[in-house]
Amino acid sequence: MMNWCRNILASISVILYLCTFNAAAAPWDDMTGDEVSQKLVEKFAEGKYSPKGADSCLMCHQRTEGVADIFKGAHGDLTSKDSPMAGLQCEACHGPQGNHNRGGKEPMIQFGKNSKLDAPTQNTVCQGCHNDPEQMAWHSSTHNLEEIACADCHVVHAAKDPALDKLTVNDTCTSCHTREKADMNKRSAHPMKWDQMTCIDCHSPHGSMSESALNKPTVNDTCYSCHAEKRGPMLWEHAPVTENCVTCHNPHGSVNEGMLNNRAPQLCQQCHADDGHASRVVLQPGMDAFGGGKSCLNCHSQIHGSNHPAGSLLQR
Amino acid sequence: MNCKLNLITASLLVASAPSMAANFAVGNANTDNLNQEKYECKRCTNTTGYSGSVDISAGYIDSDDVHAANALGTDQEGFVTAVSGDIEYQGEQGYQARIQAHQLGFENSTANISVGQKGLFNVDADYSLITTYQSGDAQSNLYYDDGMMVPGDTYVFELSQQREKVGIGADFNQDFYQGYVRFDTEDKTGYKSSSLVSPSPVNFGQRVDSTTDSFTAGAALTGQNWLTELSYFGSQYKNNTDHLSLPTYYDVYAATPDNQAHQVSLSGQYQLDRTVMSGRYIVGRMIQDDDLIQVAGNPIQNWDGEVDTTDANIRITSMLSNRLRIGGSYDYSNRENNSSVFEFQQYNFDSVSGTFKENVATDVERSTFKVNASYRIASGYRLQAGYDRKDIERTYSDREETNEDSLWAKLSIRAIDNVIIDMKAAHSNRGGSEYQATELTSSEDNSLLRKYYLADRERNEVELRVSHTPLDWLSVDLTGRYAKDDYDDTVIGLTESEDYGYDINLNMQLTKHVSAYGFAGQQWINSAQAGSQSYSSPDWYADIEDEFINLGAGVSYGGLMEDKLTLGADYLFSNSSSDTYVTAEGTSPYGDYFSYNHSASLYANYALNDDMALKLTYRYERYYDTDDAQVTPDQVPGMVTLGELNHNYNAHQIMLNFSYVL
Repeated sequence: MMNWCRNILASISVILYLCTFNAAAAPWDDMTGDEVSQKLVEKFAEGKYSPKGADSCLMCHQRTEGVADIFKGAHGDLTSKDSPMAGLQCEACHGPQGNHNRGGKEPMIQFGKNSKLDAPTQNTVCQGCHNDPEQMAWHSSTHNLEEIACADCHVVHAAKDPALDKLTVNDTCTSCHTREKADMNKRSAHPMKWDQMTCIDCHSPHGSMSESALNKPTVNDTCYSCHAEKRGPMLWEHAPVTENCVTCHNPHGSVNEGMLNNRAPQLCQQCHADDGHASRVVLQPGMDAFGGGKSCLNCHSQIHGSNHPAGSLLQR
Repeated sequence: MNCKLNLITASLLVASAPSMAANFAVGNANTDNLNQEKYECKRCTNTTGYSGSVDISAGYIDSDDVHAANALGTDQEGFVTAVSGDIEYQGEQGYQARIQAHQLGFENSTANISVGQKGLFNVDADYSLITTYQSGDAQSNLYYDDGMMVPGDTYVFELSQQREKVGIGADFNQDFYQGYVRFDTEDKTGYKSSSLVSPSPVNFGQRVDSTTDSFTAGAALTGQNWLTELSYFGSQYKNNTDHLSLPTYYDVYAATPDNQAHQVSLSGQYQLDRTVMSGRYIVGRMIQDDDLIQVAGNPIQNWDGEVDTTDANIRITSMLSNRLRIGGSYDYSNRENNSSVFEFQQYNFDSVSGTFKENVATDVERSTFKVNASYRIASGYRLQAGYDRKDIERTYSDREETNEDSLWAKLSIRAIDNVIIDMKAAHSNRGGSEYQATELTSSEDNSLLRKYYLADRERNEVELRVSHTPLDWLSVDLTGRYAKDDYDDTVIGLTESEDYGYDINLNMQLTKHVSAYGFAGQQWINSAQAGSQSYSSPDWYADIEDEFINLGAGVSYGGLMEDKLTLGADYLFSNSSSDTYVTAEGTSPYGDYFSYNHSASLYANYALNDDMALKLTYRYERYYDTDDAQVTPDQVPGMVTLGELNHNYNAHQIMLNFSYVL
C-alpha cells in the first residue's frame, strides 16, 4: 500500500515536472541549433500530428504562463476561418507533436529569444500565412538581412500585440533602435516621446522599396504626407529643399530648434558666401538682425520656397 | 591568429555539414496522416463577446507655461478630465468591432472605430488631435484682419499649431485578391513664427489655417509565390489664408499656394525557390497653379507649376546556400520640373529696382545601385559586406553631378552564450562633376565655397553593439559609434564634422513582480566651417560643439496586497546644448543655447475587484531652455522680434484613473 502511494506520488511529481514549461530552459537546451533544426525538419516531414489538436497540447500547457493568452488574440480566434485554430491549431505554428508528449523532450518549433532556430527559419512559419502586400519588400529589408525574427517584435500569445498598438509601438522599435530613442528627447523632435507620432508613421518595419524603409517613395514624399504645404512646386524654389529635406533637418531630433542640423546663421553660411552680407561673420547671436531673432530667416522667411512674383530671394 | 584558425576550421566543419533548408510554413505541412475528427478544442477559451476596458480620468494640472502641454497632453489648467478605452466585440461568426480611444478631452488625443469580419473585410474610422505648443508669450503689434496685418498695441499671443485629422477606410480580402480604400482630411490651425520685410525685418505670428485631403486606393493579387499590387495615392493641400499685406506694403508676403499630388504605383514580388525578386514603378505628378499676386513686372495670371516624378526600383535577394546570401538593388528616381519659366520683376526692398529674374525649374535625377552579401563563416559568426553607388544629377546647380561610393562591412557574432556582438564599419567617398557657380544660382558666391550637400566628402563610420544577458533576469546593451566627415576640397563652407556617442541600456526582471530599467547615453557632434568677409580666402571660422545627454530609470513593483497593487516610477533627464565659437580676430563664444528637461512620474495601480481598477499618477515636468539669439521685441534697432521665447517652468499633473474592465 505504501509503495503504491509512493509510486502514485512519484508519477504525479514527474507529470507535474514535465508539464512545467520553463521558457528560459527548454528540455532540448542541450541540443545544438543544428540538431534541433534537423530534428524539427524530420518531424515536420513525418507529419505526426496530435490526435486531439490543441486539447493534446493544453493538457500539459494550459497553465503555462502566457499559453492560454493565445485565445485573447487573433491567432487563437475560434470563429475565424483564417485563424490557426481553424486548422492545425497549436501545431500550425509549433509543428507536429511527434513524440513531444512522451516526456516533452522532443523539440517543438519555438519562437523568440530562447529559440534554438535561427530567425529566417522561425519566420518561415509566419510567412506561411502572412504573405500579403505589406510583406512585399520583406526579403530585401534590413530587418530580414539582419535576421530579425517576427517574434522579436510581435507577440501573438496576448490580447494586444505591442507592435500593433499606437501607444506601445515606439517602445517596440526603440528596444533596438536606441539612438533614435535618445533622439526623441532632444531639444526639438517630432512628438514621438509622447506617442503622438509613431515610428511607423514614416517607416515600414517589414521593409519597403524606398530608402530607409520609408512608407513613401522618397524622403520628401514622406515629409509631405504631413507637411503638404512644402510640396509645391513653388515659383521660386530653394534647391536643397526640393532635393532632400534631410539636407538641413534631422527628422529624428536635434539639439537645435526646428530639428536643424545646425542653427542659423551658421547652417546657411555653409552654403551661402556671396560678396555681401551672407559672408559676414556673426560674432554674437543676439546683437543684430543677422544673429538675433530668426537670424537669416528674419528676412528670408520663405526658406521652403516662395510663390510671390518678386520672391526670388525667398523674402516674400 | 588562434581565433582566425578557429574560424577557418569551424567554417570548414560547417561547410561539410549537409545543406538543409527548413521551411515550416503550414502550407508545406505533411497532413497525409492527419485526422481532425477528435479536434474538439474543449480546453480552448472562447473569447466571444465584449472585452477590454473603459477608463475615465480626472485630475489637476498646475502649470504656468503652455509649453508643458506638449508633455501633459493638454493646455488646460486646474481640473481636467479625459476618457480612454479599448473595447472589443467578438461575434460567433467572426464578426468583430473595436473602439479605441486615448485621452479624449485633451488637446492630444486619438480615437478609432473598426468593424468587420476577420479575414474578410474591415471598415474603420480614425480621429486624431495633435497640438504642438511653442510658446505662450510671443509678442506682436500686428493684428491679422482678413489678410491685412494691422499695426496696433503690442499684445501677447500663443504660438501653437493644432492638427485635427479624420479618416475613414475599408479593406477586404477574398481568396487571392485584396483591396483597400482610404480617405483622410486634416485641418491645421494656429499660429507659427514668421517674418516679413517692410523693408526692415518684422517677426510676426503667421496665421495657419489649411486643409490637406488625401485619398488612397489599391488592389492586390496574391499567388503561391508571387504578389502584385496596383495603387493610387492623391493628396490635395488647400490654404485657407490669403496673402498678407501691411497698410503701406500691399501683398508683402505670399500665402503658401494650394497644391495637389498624384501617384500611381505598380509593385510586385516573385519568389523562385530561395530567390526573391521585387520591383516597383511609380509615376507621379505634383501640380501648383494658384493665382499669383498681381504686381508690376508679373507677366502671368497664374503659374502652371508642374513636376512629373518617376520612381522605379528592382531588388533581388538569393540564398545561394545556407551560409551565403547575396542581394542587389537598383533604384531610380526622377523629378522633372515641367513648370513654365518666365521673367519676373524683382524688388529691391520696397521700390521696384527694374531688375528681372527668371524662375528656375530644377530637375533632379537619382540612381542608386547596391550589392551586398552575407556569409555565415561558422555557426554564430556572420559577415556581411556591401557596395553602394549613388548618382545624382541636377540642373542649374553649382555642381550638376555628384556620385558617392560606399563600402561597408559588418560582423555579427552569436557564438558566445548570452552575448550578441555586432561590429560595423563603412567608408564612403563623394565626388562629382566640376564645381562651378552658375549665373542662375549663385553668381555672387565665393569661388572657394563648396556647398556641403554638393561638396567632395569622405565619410568613415564605425559602430559596435554588444548585448549581454549575464543572468536570466538581467540584460545589458551597449552601443558605441563614431562617424567623421571630411570635406577636403572645401575652403569656404563646412570643412569637417564628427558625430560620436554611446548608449547603455539595462533591463532587469528582479522577481516575478519587480522589474526595473535604466539607460544612459551621450552624443557629441562637432562641426567646423570657414567664411570670408573679404570675399577671398577664409578670415573667420566657426566651431560648433553640440552635446546631448540622456538618462532614464524606472521600476515597477507589482504583486502587492494579494496581487491588487502595483507601484511604479519613471524618470527621464535630457540635456541638449550647442556651443558655437567664432574665430575672427579673436575667438568669441556664443551665448547660451541649451535646454534641459526632468520628467518624473509615480503611479499606483489598484485592482478594486476583477472588474474595476484605480490608477493614481503623479507627473512632474521641469523644463528649461535658453537661446541668446532670442531678444526682446525692440532690442535690436531696425528689427522687431516676437520677444524672448525661452522657457523655464515646473509643471505638475495628478490624475486619478478609473477603469472598468469588461
